Amino acid sequence: MSILRQFSRLSICPTVKFQLNRNISTTSALTFKITEQLWAEPMKKKKKIDPAIVKAREERRRKKIEKQIRRLEKNARQLKPIDELEVPLHLMDSLKKYKRPPVQLSVEEIEARELLQKEWARYKRDEYMNNIAQVDRIMAAQRRALDRLYEESEDLYNEAIMPDLQLLPYTISGPVATPPIKDYESPDGEYIDVSKKWDN
Amino acid sequence: MLVKTLMRMNITYYHRLLIRSISSKPAWDILTGICIERLPVVTPPLTEMQKKYKEFLLTVEFEKSMKSNHEIQHENDKKQAELFKAESQDVDIDAVNKVTAQDFEDAANEEYSKFKFGNLETDADKKGDKTSTERCLQRHLVLVTQRKLGNDSKTLLPQGHWQEGETLRQTAERIVKEQIGSELQIKFISNAPCGFYKYKYPSEMNGKVGAKIFFYYANYKSGNPTKSKVNWLTRKELDEMLPQKYSNAVKEFLIEETY
Repeated sequence: MSILRQFSRLSICPTVKFQLNRNISTTSALTFKITEQLWAEPMKKKKKIDPAIVKAREERRRKKIEKQIRRLEKNARQLKPIDELEVPLHLMDSLKKYKRPPVQLSVEEIEARELLQKEWARYKRDEYMNNIAQVDRIMAAQRRALDRLYEESEDLYNEAIMPDLQLLPYTISGPVATPPIKDYESPDGEYIDVSKKWDN
Repeated sequence: MLVKTLMRMNITYYHRLLIRSISSKPAWDILTGICIERLPVVTPPLTEMQKKYKEFLLTVEFEKSMKSNHEIQHENDKKQAELFKAESQDVDIDAVNKVTAQDFEDAANEEYSKFKFGNLETDADKKGDKTSTERCLQRHLVLVTQRKLGNDSKTLLPQGHWQEGETLRQTAERIVKEQIGSELQIKFISNAPCGFYKYKYPSEMNGKVGAKIFFYYANYKSGNPTKSKVNWLTRKELDEMLPQKYSNAVKEFLIEETY
């Protein structure tokens, strides 16, 4: 019905209208019906698969994954070798050749060495105590200066105890073992690059 | 409890105020002194004990060490030479003709003896020139200037008056620029003064009883003073040249040298 109407609108002589004009009735003049559009195919029948085959398929998939996992675990235990960390075999073989004959120390020598170490410990302790005392002295001097500054002016004191933001970064070098030589040109050495290439 | 602590805080605050009001009655000049120190360039000489222990450590290390390739080669060379002398048939001709370990060692020693290390005693040391930083490389040096106080001149650290509106650190930086020159590169270590010294004027000057000097510490980096003659003094020389009490106040915040 609706389609016919739409077509009649397009046609030059509207046929439907004429019919409607001629018949007097409460129902629609055209009594045939158009079925609704379905736009779909009838459903296909489900294929039935043998449950044994399904089971076998599942099994195969599981085995495949398990195999992969096993392979990964095996590799996890074996670390990637690092050349630098492995002692070269030729060095292991010639280890005996490189050993020094063991030193036989006399009793007096051992005694002297032990005494020297004890004396060294005492020496270092004195040095340490001296250092601590010096740090204490210097800190006390600063504390005293700050106290006197506080008595003089609180504003100046507050400025003085602010952190010094220009101090960092702080670099210092030296002292060195021998004095630097002025205008010294270091001789050109041979530079052999032995680092490995890891391009491919 | 809270009231108690509050009261205590109040009391300390007023106590401080009181101290300040009392102490500020006699007016003092505020001065800033700058202690510019050149740190040692070369490590100090080893003491007897350090030398002994170093020797000991070296021998122990040698005893525990493996032979070097050079030593192995030296031993091989000796063996080959003996075989060569005995005219044995095992002589490896190639091994005999090449450069032996001993030759290499001699060449290396010769090169080493030719190399001249920098001299610890610099030109300034030889001339007794105290104005250069290139002296006494193993010691701490402190910069001092000559100042006229009244009629006589004294050796003092660079110092100057604090001006209204400055922090003491700014005063210190200004004084270094004004009195010594801006080419001298130094590094101040802190915003806080590291030392203190006060002295009374012989008679009141501009209504001020005396001067309070707050010392600032800085490290020498590079450059030379341009505006005034300065001396770089070691600890011992400081002790001799500075006025006694002043020297004591300065020594209070300096690292003591043990050699």
